[in-house]
Amino acid sequence: MRVTVDGSAVVVEPGASVLEAARAAGAAVPTLCFDERMAPFGACRVCLVGVHGPDGADTVVASCTTPCREGMVVDTHDPGARRVARAVVELVLSELPAAPARHTELAAVVRDLGVDGSRWSGAVHAERRDTRHPYLAFQHELCISCGRCVRACDEIQGAFALTAVGRGFDANVAAGIDAGFRDSACVSCGACADTCPTDAITELSLLAIAGATEDDSASSP
Amino acid sequence: MNDERFDTTVSTTCGYCGVGCRLEAHTRSDRVVSISPAADGPANRGHTCLKGRFAHQFSRSRERLTTPLIREGGELRAASWDEALQRIATELGGIRAAHGADAIAGLASSRATNEDCWAMQRLMRAAIGTNNIDNCSRVCHSPTSYALRASLGYSGATGSFDDIEAADAAIIIGANPTEGHPVVGARIKQAALRGLQLVTIDPRRIELADHAVVHLSPRPGTNAAIMLGLAHVAHRDGLIDRAFIDARTEGFGAYEELLALYDPAVVQEISGVPAADLERAAHVYGEAGEACVLWGLGVTEHKYGSEVAQLICSLALMTGKIGRPGSALLPLRGQNNVQGSSDMGALPDTYSGYRRVDDEEVAQAFEARWGVALSRRPGLKIPQMFDAAVAGTLKAMYIFGEDVAQTDPNTTHVVHALESLDFLICQDIFETETTRYADVILPASAFLEKTGTFTNAERRIQLVEAAITPPGDAHTDLEILRDVSRALGHELDFESPQDVMREIAALTPEFAGVTYERLGRSGLQWPVQADGTDAPILYEHEFHRPGGRAHIAALPYKEPGDAADEDFPLVLVTGRRLQHYNAGTMTRRTANLELMDHDWLEIHPDDAARLWIGDGDLVSVRSRVGRIEVEARVTERIEPGHVFTAFHFPEVRTNLLVGSSADVNTSCPEYKVVAVDVRPVAEEPSRTPALAGPAA
Repeated sequence: MRVTVDGSAVVVEPGASVLEAARAAGAAVPTLCFDERMAPFGACRVCLVGVHGPDGADTVVASCTTPCREGMVVDTHDPGARRVARAVVELVLSELPAAPARHTELAAVVRDLGVDGSRWSGAVHAERRDTRHPYLAFQHELCISCGRCVRACDEIQGAFALTAVGRGFDANVAAGIDAGFRDSACVSCGACADTCPTDAITELSLLAIAGATEDDSASSP
Repeated sequence: MNDERFDTTVSTTCGYCGVGCRLEAHTRSDRVVSISPAADGPANRGHTCLKGRFAHQFSRSRERLTTPLIREGGELRAASWDEALQRIATELGGIRAAHGADAIAGLASSRATNEDCWAMQRLMRAAIGTNNIDNCSRVCHSPTSYALRASLGYSGATGSFDDIEAADAAIIIGANPTEGHPVVGARIKQAALRGLQLVTIDPRRIELADHAVVHLSPRPGTNAAIMLGLAHVAHRDGLIDRAFIDARTEGFGAYEELLALYDPAVVQEISGVPAADLERAAHVYGEAGEACVLWGLGVTEHKYGSEVAQLICSLALMTGKIGRPGSALLPLRGQNNVQGSSDMGALPDTYSGYRRVDDEEVAQAFEARWGVALSRRPGLKIPQMFDAAVAGTLKAMYIFGEDVAQTDPNTTHVVHALESLDFLICQDIFETETTRYADVILPASAFLEKTGTFTNAERRIQLVEAAITPPGDAHTDLEILRDVSRALGHELDFESPQDVMREIAALTPEFAGVTYERLGRSGLQWPVQADGTDAPILYEHEFHRPGGRAHIAALPYKEPGDAADEDFPLVLVTGRRLQHYNAGTMTRRTANLELMDHDWLEIHPDDAARLWIGDGDLVSVRSRVGRIEVEARVTERIEPGHVFTAFHFPEVRTNLLVGSSADVNTSCPEYKVVAVDVRPVAEEPSRTPALAGPAA
């Protein structure tokens, strides 16, 4: 099936998503809740793009969960889509106690979208850490509820140990019934830490290093 | 990857199990600080397990061997490399002069690279002059290798792990992938959640049994009856591929006759598996368009393990489920490079590519390259080495990266053998149960510290790259083998691991087109043609046997070497746990120990109640050859009449219990059927409730 991305034609398999088409065309679409290893989730809205359908209607869609249609015209620079994506990331940042560490995927998205801090001030998450596991650490205050860890646990490992908990500002992630990794069904594979875009779940060994390099990352973004 | 937290990031291949996960090792100040899975790893696809990802701190353990040790006046003392090499040259030279080259034997390490194993077998054959070289596949998948060669031709899986996702159904027999091979276990589990029809066959109710259409729990040692019973039902109900049988196989007539004897009622009598379950399982496999069979040591570590592996091939051949995407035979290899160590000819009867040592043409090719005369006499297998040591005909051993005193069966006999040797060299990264008996210990390198290749269970040759340097005065294994060989008077003309691979490619048809450049990030699956074309799927058109036909072996069920009786009423099965790896030399020196700090014996509630054993009690386990004590854990995961434990902890020394019964064709020990007596260890008198005692 043929679609057009930012003016160039690209051929994709039936069922391919708009995000896949965009990446096939070499367009850089930032994502936050997306991970190739898992089914698309469509939660974060950072991958928004403009779409001009064959019927002439212009819309903004989440590219990761929208399937391509024949003749679709995609604009990854659509100003409306970019403005909303930036606002979404600003809202995410507004709840965090500090700017995201430089090496994280969230920091990369912030850079890609050119977000400069957050226009909104308000409540930020208080530090809540769990370092009972010998390797894996929770930094709950950094959770942005993207659901990647929960889906990695389900769709990559199949342990079903992690759960999304709470609502609104209190939304977060828990192992088991907030029992910690060790007393849940966790098999310590670390897929959650691998996919986490903010270090809300990370490795204990990396926490120590993050402390050592904080000076470099504190100034960004 | 550009991450300010790390000095370097090196792409390499995991050194734990045979899955062959591609990893990114991140370092700071010459230490590995984190490991993440490579997104493009063909076997792991951006995933890995708690061993590959986390269990790397052992590499900088204070207990690492950092200098050669030599025994003097009964004690080991630190020595220089020159001293150690001199001692080796003198001792081995003397023994060879007095007793001949065949009085010396070596073990290559299936933890080490192909290049290391190649150097080791060349050292034994060319520098010493004997074919007494073996590797630990002897005690794990040698029966699989034997069977695959006899039935199909090549000693390797017929397909790839990708076949799991392409299959409609799969049989998993004698393996517990979610613990033993966690990344493949996760792939199977995900496939099952998406509709893969799974049949699990194991005396334990393994985790994947919860996702299976049907789970069969045969009595240990009765796998042959199960495979014959499955084939009986498939044959009876017309689920066979007559065209495939006629065009591509031989031996079907005798097999058909044999199958008639194994109707489900007979198999139920032998194995204890309900006939209806067997019928169901046969239909799941037989009716699937594409189906895989995966197996582990629960198939091979039996008296007739090699025959059961042949019967697995026979079932796949009769139903035509081989040589297509989704229809593969996938033995789950144990060690990271146990496929490779055998491919390299670290075996007493074959050169690389499984060519016999008495094949004149092959032997002459090696002689021409190495410039020495080579023995045509097949050497000793591992168990025979120990027997010969006890008998006094084997005088010296060179054991490279293997802890035989903990992992081989019949520990008492193994220790007796090691004590009987005049001279023992151990090349390892830690002191082990085996190094206690060494005269010289050479400090070696872990997989994170060296360069070369591993070959995984898919026959995939993958690059290993050094992320950090060996600690102290430890050397890479290739450097050590080169130095020892030079001290013995035979120059291994390798400047680098790549030089070794060039020699492997020049002397091994299946490796003809292998170069490091071509291996790249995703490796190549042998046989690799001279032009670099590899083989993800074997036997698409013909088998690697005379006439291109596969052999359907007709082998009847025979009783295992051990059985429960009045004195030893329970059957012990041994295996692996998720958190640890084999002898535990590496994982016990990581925080994995916090996740599991001791072993236990799994026992069914019925047996536990009958024996007055409670959860957590210390119990005594006695077999015909040994006795251990271990904590009991009461669980319904094990069938009544059976008990299970692992062998990761030297404190438990499970292999004291295992006798000398072994596979009839390959001498692979029968670890999976050991009759035992289990009883509570007597309690402290103070904890025994007092009856009416004498008045104070």
